[in-house]
Amino acid sequence: MNRRGVLALAAGAVSGLLVRRPRAAAAELRPPGALPPGAFERACIGCFRCAEVCPTRAIRFPPGAGLDAGHPFLALRESACVLCMACTEACPTGALARIPAVPERVAAEVRIGVPVLDRKSCLPWSGQGVCRLCAYVCPVGARAVELVGPQQAPLFHAEGCVGCGLCEEACPEEARAVRIAPATGGGRA
Amino acid sequence: MTHLGSPEISTAARRARGVLQPWDVRLRGARGYQRIRRAVLTVSVLTVVGTPFLAARFADRSFPAGIFVGATTAARALGVEFLDPLMSAGVLLAGGARPGLLAAALPVLLLVVVLGRFFCGWLCPYLPLLAASNAVRWALGRLGIPTLDVRLPGWVRFAVLGGVLGGTAALGVQLAALVYPPALLARSAYRLAFGFGLGGGAAVVAAVWLFDTTVSRAGFCRSLCPGGALFSLLGARSPVRVRRVASQCTDCTVCDVVCNLGQRPMSDAVGTGCERCGRCVASCPTAALSLSLEGRRR
Repeated sequence: MNRRGVLALAAGAVSGLLVRRPRAAAAELRPPGALPPGAFERACIGCFRCAEVCPTRAIRFPPGAGLDAGHPFLALRESACVLCMACTEACPTGALARIPAVPERVAAEVRIGVPVLDRKSCLPWSGQGVCRLCAYVCPVGARAVELVGPQQAPLFHAEGCVGCGLCEEACPEEARAVRIAPATGGGRA
Repeated sequence: MTHLGSPEISTAARRARGVLQPWDVRLRGARGYQRIRRAVLTVSVLTVVGTPFLAARFADRSFPAGIFVGATTAARALGVEFLDPLMSAGVLLAGGARPGLLAAALPVLLLVVVLGRFFCGWLCPYLPLLAASNAVRWALGRLGIPTLDVRLPGWVRFAVLGGVLGGTAALGVQLAALVYPPALLARSAYRLAFGFGLGGGAAVVAAVWLFDTTVSRAGFCRSLCPGGALFSLLGARSPVRVRRVASQCTDCTVCDVVCNLGQRPMSDAVGTGCERCGRCVASCPTAALSLSLEGRRR
């Protein structure tokens, strides 16, 4: 490379460094093992390997061409994560930290999001009937969702929940009471 | 149109009349090299476009992920990681580097140091689209519709590379994933295979293709692609070079004309922009050109 090339590289780098960071985008649900917001975007190269190995097609990419176009997110309402951890194994840059598919490790380390329950829609909480589906499908059990009271209504514990979204997927169509929301404040409980 | 049987006369005459075009040039030499290159390129394109479609058909995704997963930007083949230097540089500069990144980056880095900018001529999944672009340019020319061939200055590609890497560091977002055609094409193929539509990345590739077709022949590859610029830098000391035997050269210009990346083998002006595709060697009617290993010499 000649001197002009070096100058151009430096000039390009300087002008690139002057780019202003846009205000923080809305937090997204990232695949399991994802680094905290900020660190994840710095490490993720948008290679889609996580999505290519996802058996439930839960891992998606935004349809546009904006700054987030290369960042995978989870569409848990459409399909839940089955915690197979194949995505963490496929990630080439460590944007998804590797977590072995061992139940204890998964329960301890996976924090995709936190459960948010709307008691007005929840069948037992609103007195519309018996349900318990969320508790039946939950892979970590009472650590994340307990059934309480005579109605056997679900009581969610965000600190024990892995955020896989199986409860959101199982929640009856007419209720849609529970959803997994991005954890605020860094993700790790 | 006659072929270039007697290059001393016909091609020089055509050149003088300003009508010698890339499509007039026949690749007749170095058949073995071209055959290997096309085979490698075919495998590359098939892995980028084909493996997502295979993966989408196997519910547990165990195949073909066990053998091959990803694309040229970040592939794992038979357990070995191949990370594009543009991607590793971006992760490094944005401060997202993890242990293991170096091991993943090393195989391709070594290849680029030895072979120079070979990726562009051997593996890039955009190459079939570039061939289509050149074909459309030919067709437009036949129809009498003029196409521009703007030649941007040589430093532009380094400015683009600097801008992409600097912007990646400043924004904390991997910009290469958003502007680098191999990355965009691979993600579009995956999206299509998994039923999510082509996505915005395909529109960026379409813009690149239109630029190459109407404004500047292979102009994106030559002057705007950050990957090509980085490979040029990393492979600047590559010992694989195009060599010309002046006594056999008839100054017929076909090699200069056939080069997509604006190199000029006839004037011994083949620089770091050379993609080692060997088309100049194959086009030479008098076998004056060859790709050869050289010692430290520039």
